[in-house]
Amino acid sequence: MAEISPEDRLALHEFSVRYREAYAKSNPLSELHLETIQDAVRGEYEREQDAKRSPSVEPPSPAKEKEREPEEPDHS
Amino acid sequence: MDDLIKLVRTYRLTAGLAERIRLAEQIFGLIGPDLHLFVFSHVSGPAAYDVFQEVLKAVAVSLKQFKGDTVKEFWAWCYRIARNKLNDQYRRQANDRLVPVAPEDLWQMMEASAQDAPMTPAVRHDLEYAMKLLTNSKPECYDLLWNHFVFGLDYADIATDRNMSYDSVRMKIGRCLEEVKSLVS
Repeated sequence: MAEISPEDRLALHEFSVRYREAYAKSNPLSELHLETIQDAVRGEYEREQDAKRSPSVEPPSPAKEKEREPEEPDHS
Repeated sequence: MDDLIKLVRTYRLTAGLAERIRLAEQIFGLIGPDLHLFVFSHVSGPAAYDVFQEVLKAVAVSLKQFKGDTVKEFWAWCYRIARNKLNDQYRRQANDRLVPVAPEDLWQMMEASAQDAPMTPAVRHDLEYAMKLLTNSKPECYDLLWNHFVFGLDYADIATDRNMSYDSVRMKIGRCLEEVKSLVS
């Protein structure tokens, strides 16, 4: 099978660059798209903050449970 | 393109919300149109708008989890996310072929591009040739040629998407190009 020639690659690359540039100019991101991005970033940020504020508490392992000191009797 | 990976790296290290939003807007200013082209080339009609929104959301939410260090890796990651969202859509509508772009629409884009970067006769000749190759291929080849030569997906990315080996993809693209060259010559 013939390899792809450098001339073909170059022509297709030139086309790709020009086509994508022209496409980008005629299809800029709309306000609605920007809002979607902002909401997604904000949502992810809030999830991170929530996770920091309430770190998950691991249940005590059975081994640790055994080592745990018995609770003081309640003298009240 | 170097700017893109710098922005992504900075985003990963940024803690403040306002700064993250500012960086995300810059990143999406660079990648948004290409993702738009990718999605709208694969899905048509109102579904394309929904898929594009889903892709933007998914990339924005996962931006901090991107692990790579190069622009190429970043694009591959973005297109993988877009491909996954497209696959969700295909499952709904049972169709996974690229939507062929009409040759006159391609010409219109080329004329628009010529206003910004004038074409020498040699460049115009090359572009006409490239457009003939891309618009005259059979559907299976059209998909591969666009993904590789226009969207810049490498053989490995396409192989992963299609569950094919790297060499099969490389040979198939070579064969597709040979076939279409024989048609247009």
